[in-house]
Parts: sequence; C-alpha cells; structure tokens
Amino acid sequence: MKIKAALNICARCIAGMALACLIFVPKLLFAQTDSAKKLKEVKIKETPVPQVQTITPEQQVNTADLNRVNAINVADAVRDFSGVNIKDYGGIGGLKTVSVRGLGADHLVVLYDGVAINDAENGQIDLGKYNLNGIEQIILYNAQPDNILSPSRSFASASVIAIKPVQPHLTVLKPFKVVAGVNGGSFGFINPYLQWQQRLSDRWSYVVNGYLESATGRYKFKNPEDGSDTLQTRTNADIHDQRIDGSLYWFKNDSNKFSLHINYYNSDRGLPAAVINYNPYSGQRLWNQDFFAQAGYMHTWNDGLQLLLNTKLSREYTRYIDPAYQNNNGGIDDRYTQREFYQSAALAYHITSTWQVSYAGDIALSTVGAESPTNSISNYAFPSRFTLQEVLASKLILNRWRFEGDLLHSYVNEWVQYGKATPDQNVLSPTLMTTFQPFAQPDLQLRAFYKDIFREPTLDEQYLFAPLGSRNVQPEFARQFDLGIAYRKAFDSFLGYLTLTIDGYYNRVTNKIVDLPQQNPDIPSVINIGAADIKGVDVGIKTQTRQSSGWRGLLSVNYTYQYAIDTALKLQIPYIPRNSVAFNAGVEYRDLGLYYNQIISSSRLYLEDINSQVSGYAVGDLALVYKCIISKKAMTFSAHINNLFNQQYSIVRSFPMPGRSYLLSFQITI
Amino acid sequence: MRNFKPGFFAAAVLTLILSSCHKDQVTPKTPAPVTDGFYVLNQGLFNDNNSTLSFYSYANKTVTADIFNSANDRGLGDTGNDIEVYGSKMYIVVNISSTIEVVDPKTAKSIRQIKLFNGTTAREPRDIAFYKGNAYVSSYDGTVAVIDTATLGVKSYISVGRNPEQLAVANGKLYVANSGGLDYPNYDTTVSVIDLGSGTVIKTITVTVNPQNVGTDNNGNVYVLSAGNYSTVGSTLTVIDDNTDVVKSQTDFDGSGMVIQGTTAYFITSTNTIKVFDLKTMTTTTNSFISDGTAITTPYALAVDGSTGEVFVTDAKDYTSAGSIYAFDKNGKKEYSITAGINPGKIAFLKQ
Repeated sequence: MKIKAALNICARCIAGMALACLIFVPKLLFAQTDSAKKLKEVKIKETPVPQVQTITPEQQVNTADLNRVNAINVADAVRDFSGVNIKDYGGIGGLKTVSVRGLGADHLVVLYDGVAINDAENGQIDLGKYNLNGIEQIILYNAQPDNILSPSRSFASASVIAIKPVQPHLTVLKPFKVVAGVNGGSFGFINPYLQWQQRLSDRWSYVVNGYLESATGRYKFKNPEDGSDTLQTRTNADIHDQRIDGSLYWFKNDSNKFSLHINYYNSDRGLPAAVINYNPYSGQRLWNQDFFAQAGYMHTWNDGLQLLLNTKLSREYTRYIDPAYQNNNGGIDDRYTQREFYQSAALAYHITSTWQVSYAGDIALSTVGAESPTNSISNYAFPSRFTLQEVLASKLILNRWRFEGDLLHSYVNEWVQYGKATPDQNVLSPTLMTTFQPFAQPDLQLRAFYKDIFREPTLDEQYLFAPLGSRNVQPEFARQFDLGIAYRKAFDSFLGYLTLTIDGYYNRVTNKIVDLPQQNPDIPSVINIGAADIKGVDVGIKTQTRQSSGWRGLLSVNYTYQYAIDTALKLQIPYIPRNSVAFNAGVEYRDLGLYYNQIISSSRLYLEDINSQVSGYAVGDLALVYKCIISKKAMTFSAHINNLFNQQYSIVRSFPMPGRSYLLSFQITI
Repeated sequence: MRNFKPGFFAAAVLTLILSSCHKDQVTPKTPAPVTDGFYVLNQGLFNDNNSTLSFYSYANKTVTADIFNSANDRGLGDTGNDIEVYGSKMYIVVNISSTIEVVDPKTAKSIRQIKLFNGTTAREPRDIAFYKGNAYVSSYDGTVAVIDTATLGVKSYISVGRNPEQLAVANGKLYVANSGGLDYPNYDTTVSVIDLGSGTVIKTITVTVNPQNVGTDNNGNVYVLSAGNYSTVGSTLTVIDDNTDVVKSQTDFDGSGMVIQGTTAYFITSTNTIKVFDLKTMTTTTNSFISDGTAITTPYALAVDGSTGEVFVTDAKDYTSAGSIYAFDKNGKKEYSITAGINPGKIAFLKQ
C-alpha cells in the first residue's frame, strides 16, 4: 500500500522533473544528428599520464599503487586523497570511517561495482572491513561519477567512493590466473589470501577471492593524561575475520555485459574501548556477518539506447556485547539484523553524439530487527524504510564546453512495529556541472559544479532508544559549490608528466543532525540543529620522471585546507583539521622500489570547545617493494614500516594510534 | 599556465600549513588556592576522559581552570560525578575511571587515589556521604563502599539495590536511592536504609520509578526525588520519616537536581527555571527564583551556600562546550558568572 502511494507520488514528480529538465537542456542541440555510438571495447593500457580533467574532481588509486602507500584496506588506500578525513579508532580492528570535504561520513556513498553498500541502520561504512584483496581500483568522486547511466544512488550523495573488483582479462592460451599471497607483521597480524580467475568461454568467466585476517591487535601507546611515564598496551584489540566472494562475468563488450557477485564477510573482534584513565579494562566484543548478492546487467541497442539493471540483496548481522555494563542482566548483548532489497533500472539515450539524457529509478526496502537476551534493547521500533530515488540527467558537449545536470527525487516512507513512524518525505535535489577548455590545447581545463543533496537520518538516529518512537529527525542538507582547474602535461624532458588540480569549494550544511548527549546516557537525543559553512581548497600534484638507466622517480602531493565552521559557535567543526598534507615520494630502480609516504594533519577539536583539542601529527611510512619473475611466475616481495618515527598520536580522542609497526608481504601470480 | 612554478606553489602551501599549525597549549602552573572559594567538578563527556576541576577564588575573583591537572600533572579521568569536603580532605568521585581522588582542598594535590574495582570490573562510583569518620560511596555495581577517612582504605562493601545514585545520612542511618538507571526502562523503585552502627541494610523502602536525589532537613525527614521513566511516568517527590522509615507522602513533582538547605529545597524545572520549595509547608515558594531576567541556556546543577544564602546555578549550554556558573543572591539577583569546564555538575565550597 505504501509502495503504491509512493509510486503515485513519484508519477507526479516525474512530470515535474521532465519540465525542469527541459529548462536546462538547450533545444538548439536537436540540430546535431549524429547517431549514437555504441561503446567499443577499449583495452585499458597503463596510461602514462593520469586523467585529471574530469567534470568533477576525481582521485583514484589502482592495484599497482597500493603497495606504495602501505595499504591493507580501503581506508588506507584513500587516506592520501585530498579532501579526505579518516576517522580511525586505531589498530587493525579499529573502526575507520571516511568523510569528504568537511561533510559527515553519512554524506559519502561507497559503491561496490556500481552498487551502493548501504547501511540504513548506522549510515557510516567501516572501510577497515574491506581488505584490498580482490579490488582492482578505488576512485573518489566529489559530487558524483561522470557517467549518467548509473543507479540513482550514485547521484544521491555528496561524494562517492567507487570500489571496482578485479575483472578477469584472460585468453584461450592462459584460461586461468591464480594470485596468492600473505601479509604479516606487527600486532600478531597474519593475512593470507587467494584469488582464482577462470575463463569459461569467450564470454563467461569467474573470479573467486578469499582472505582471512587474524591479529592480537596489541600495541604500545602512551597515555598523556594519566601521569604515567611508561607505555601501556592496548588490549582486547584482537580481530579474526574472513571474506569470500565469487564473481561471475558475462562480457560481450564494454556496452553489453552481465555480472553477479556473492560476498560474505565474517568477523569477531574485541573492542578496546576508549582509553580511560585508571580503568584499562574492556570486555566489549563485536561480531559482524555481512552477506550480499548483487547482479548487474548492461545492454546497448544499436540506436543508442542503453539499459543498466542492478539488483542487490543484503543481510548484515551485528552482535555487540559489553559484559561490564552494570545492568541487572549481566551486561549488554545486543543483536541487530539488517536486511535490504534493492533494485535499480537506468536508461540512457544519445539524442546526438554530443547530447545524452538518462533516467534512473531505484527502490530499496530496508528493515532492521533487534534482539537482546539481556534485555538491553528496549522499546525497539523494528523499523522498515522504503526509499524511492529517481533521477533525470543530461549531458551535453558544446565545443569546448561540457555540461551535465540532473534532478533527483527522493521519497522515503517508514513504518514500525512499535511506536510511531516518521512521516513521509519528498525531496528534490538538483546538480549542475560544467567544464571549459580555454585553449586549443586540452592541457588545461576549468570546471565548476553545484550540488544540492541531503542525507537521510539513519534508522538508529530516528528510532534507537527513542522513548516515543520516531524522533522525527529531518534530512540534513549539504549544498556544494566547486570551482577548479585541472592541468596535465606530458613532457619529453626529465619529467615524464605533471598533473595539477586545484579546487576551491564552499559547502553549506543546514539542518545538521546532531546527537546531543543527555544526562541519562541511555537516552541519546538526536535533533536537527545548526548549520556549518565549509570553505576549502583541495590541491593535487602528481609527477614522475622518465625512466633513465633503470631509474625512475615518482612524487604525488595532496593538500587540503578546510575552514569548516559551525555558524552559531564560530568554531571549527570537530575532527576536521584546518590543514592536511599527504605526500608520496618514490624511487624505482628496475624492479625495486622504495617509497615514502607522509601524512601531516593540524590539530582538531574533538568537541565544539576551543580547549578540547586533539594534537596534530605527522606520520611517515616506508615501503620497499621488489618485483621479479621466477620460473615464469610473477612475484612481489615487500617490506613496510608504518609510523617510521614512532610518533605517539591519536586521530580520535581517547583512541591512540599504534607507534612504529612492520609488515612483510609476499605475492605470487600463477 | 605555461609559467606555472611548482616551487612557488609548494612554498605557499608550506607557509599556510606552518602558520596555522597547532601550538601545544601551555598549561600555566597556577598558585595554589589559599583563599575562600569554591571548586566546580566538570563532568566532561563520557569516553572523552576529560573531567576537570575548576577553582574560583572569592578574594581574587579569578577562575583557575583544570586545577587538578596543574597540581598533579595528570587528569581526573572520565566523568567526575561528586565532590565533597570532609574534615581536612576533599573527595572527588570519578564514575567511569572508577576512582575516588582524595585531595588536599587547599592545593588540589592528590593525597590518595582509591580505586574501586571488583577484579577487572569497574564498580563505577557515583556519590559520597560521610558519617563519624567514614565515607560512604555508592557505586553502579549495587554497592556502598565504606572508606575509613583516616587510613583511606576500603573497609567493606554493603550491597544495596540496582545502580544506586545519591545517598544521605539522617538519624544514624544512610538512605541510598537505587535508580536501576542502567536497566532502562525497567528502573529500580527503592531506597535502601543502612544502619550505620551495624553497617547492614535494615529496610528497603519502595518509592517511585528511578529515584536519584536524596536530601535531608533538620526536622526528621528524608526527601527522595525520583526522575520517572522519561515517558509515561514523571518525577515524584517522596518524603520518608527518618525515625520510622515509612513513606509520609508522595507527590508528582516537576523538578530535578534537588538540593536542600535547612528547610528550603531548590530544583531545576522542566522549563529550565529554578524552583524554590518550602519543606515545612510542602509548597512552592516560587517557580522562577531568578528575578533579574538572567537567561541560562541549560541549568544543569544547583548549589546553595548556607552561610550567605547564595544560590549557584551551573549552565551546561550545549553539553559539549565549556559551561558557566551563575551566582545569585538569596533574592535571585545575579551577582556574577564565571566560565567552568564541560558539563559542570557539582560545586564544593571551601571555607578556611
């Protein structure tokens, strides 16, 4: 019934949107009549010069780069990007969430092969849970990806991290490929992994990936608050997790393909809790069992019509215990099960070769169930959420100009088993983007975008421990304005190339969703209050020398400035540094590479209080990578030293980061 | 862009960074308080390990922030919940750190840190009261610790109800409010009465849901304020006869943060005003004690100086930034206000 109502509403909205769309699609373009082109299969070679002239800022890291930045998981892989803030609770098993350009982590969507990893219950995705095994590429998009043939969800967040799983490129002569390896080192960390790629026929192939991680997670840290002069040990930090995923691919060409992913993740970890003076004990544990199956199908007709279908089913089980909690039932033992069904259909049509329009409609049905043998969850609402998101988008190339725009309509309907549900919501969100090439040479491009988007309150924010059912929290809005330049140039001299991007932006967050602590800590109170103004600059420079007698040098520098102010308090928003820099410098001699990665962050406030600061830090990592071929098998040996200068620091107040640590890796490709 | 100079750019970036880098805050070594004044125990925030102690000197009219840290080179820890002066010592009850910091009130220097743990389980102390050389500390693990104030050792633990909050001494007995607050929404509803001669619970009195505050007057009454369950049941004031330990009356009551001075009680109302209540007649004297229009964002705790009749109201503001203390004369006119730490929850007066 609710769905029917939703469809009625959306029908009305589509009409409205069609009108709106006409406004920003100039009619003169009907004059151009080039028939739409089907995409040809493009063999992607390693391009010497990274593509930076994208319509919205885009930063990427590929498999080959991951060793250079000492990355084990997706959070490590994106930490050098400009505009990125990682909230890292420390250690192998510590929660790692990412926020971009001063907007909260809930304003970021993480796509796995084009489909969102959604967490309706908590909102924020722990990127520490995603080991890089089986991942080929990670891209961060400000605003949204360039491709307008995409599910609505990729238009529906302030920024996007797209994770691309490994896709097989096999031949009849070598119909399989096996990648096996192991990482191990400090914290009692051991991480063996195995990947099997198999070609079944001209068009069918599959990939199976599996890894396990195990660590005691123990490390020494200094507590500057309790007067102790000896190092203490972080305990109850062990993690044991495994992921297995299988992918089946049917591939005719880049425009006609099908994929199916089945992914299961299991983890059991201790939560070392905040470092509290004089009370070092924690018995808290967290278990996760995440399962998803997703399928994607893309078809292109000869007349230029394209169809993209995506379906996903997911189930996420979380169990949290705190045996020390002083209730009557021997502590907390809370279990939550989140289920989601998701379906997206997108159509795109090339009206001319330079003008494309698209429509996408996504529906998602999410439910959360809870149980607790210790009765530590009470009055739980058992909420369900139906979301409909549909988007009309258009893309146009006009001489040296490129325009893209879309209008997103979101409809949210919730119902509950107990208490009161949140009233329905309808939101319209426009985005406009443009690039301009000022000179005949395409080296330099100017770009600008405006994106108006919101984040829905999570089901926890809306219902968890809400005495009267829904708190009726409203969406939090984020409007982004960006103006930037992107420059890239290949040289014949000592330098092989140089790329430079500079983007200035202004973000305005209104109706902020804030969790106000209460006198009774059991009753969180979530309300919409206040606004934030974020003025920032993202700068990225990348260069490398030409190889000369076997030698090559590489350098990338990313700088981020964020003046992120709560408009009422006139203070920097907690956990956003004013300045941060990441640079990665490497020198390669034939198959041997030595890389140094440095991250510098200025101090952050941890509360909206000028005296509540977490100190700045500068952490350097070193990596030595050796690649060779032994008996026709490609092998990689690498040694990493993280936090080379053994800096004692925290990113999150009361959650110290590890000092110097070591990691050895070996990988063989058969 | 052909004339682009990366070197210039890098220098500009570096200048920006250096000019805005965080300078480590210098904690000034402050002179010890030797004058009359009061201490403010700021709770900080749960898990932020940032409870602090502020001192206000009447003579100098100055606030010394974070004085425990300056005096001891270490922090109080997480969520300071109660502070009391008894004899020549001051006792600070720190909930999540699970300690009692015993300090010299003249210098804020620690004399002893008493850890309240049951093996590796923090007892989580909440409130402290004194009687005949003993300190009694309620803890969330359902106990009252008996501490010898001469040796500062824990002598015994007395089991009471669930998650006891405040406790108060009357007629040789200790009255402990068992809140059951960590079993939301299945709160406790009882007050444990401990005979301080034998150190045993002699009676458990049923009151209303979620008792938190306990106070006494000079006329043989114990007042227990229950907070209710935050939804269907509101707050209630129960009066217990400290002779017979029976409930004399029970009334629905809009108020929290009860403090009693003589036969007058002070409360924070649900509309953030200050209520003055006459315990002899059990009637409200006024619901708006503040008479000069002083606006307080979030009244958080109250304190009364018996010798002057001054009333102190703490303001927690948005619960995450530095709070304030407002001092009012007995007619509700503001005398002065000072800045405290985050969530100022308790005041202890220091008289030489």
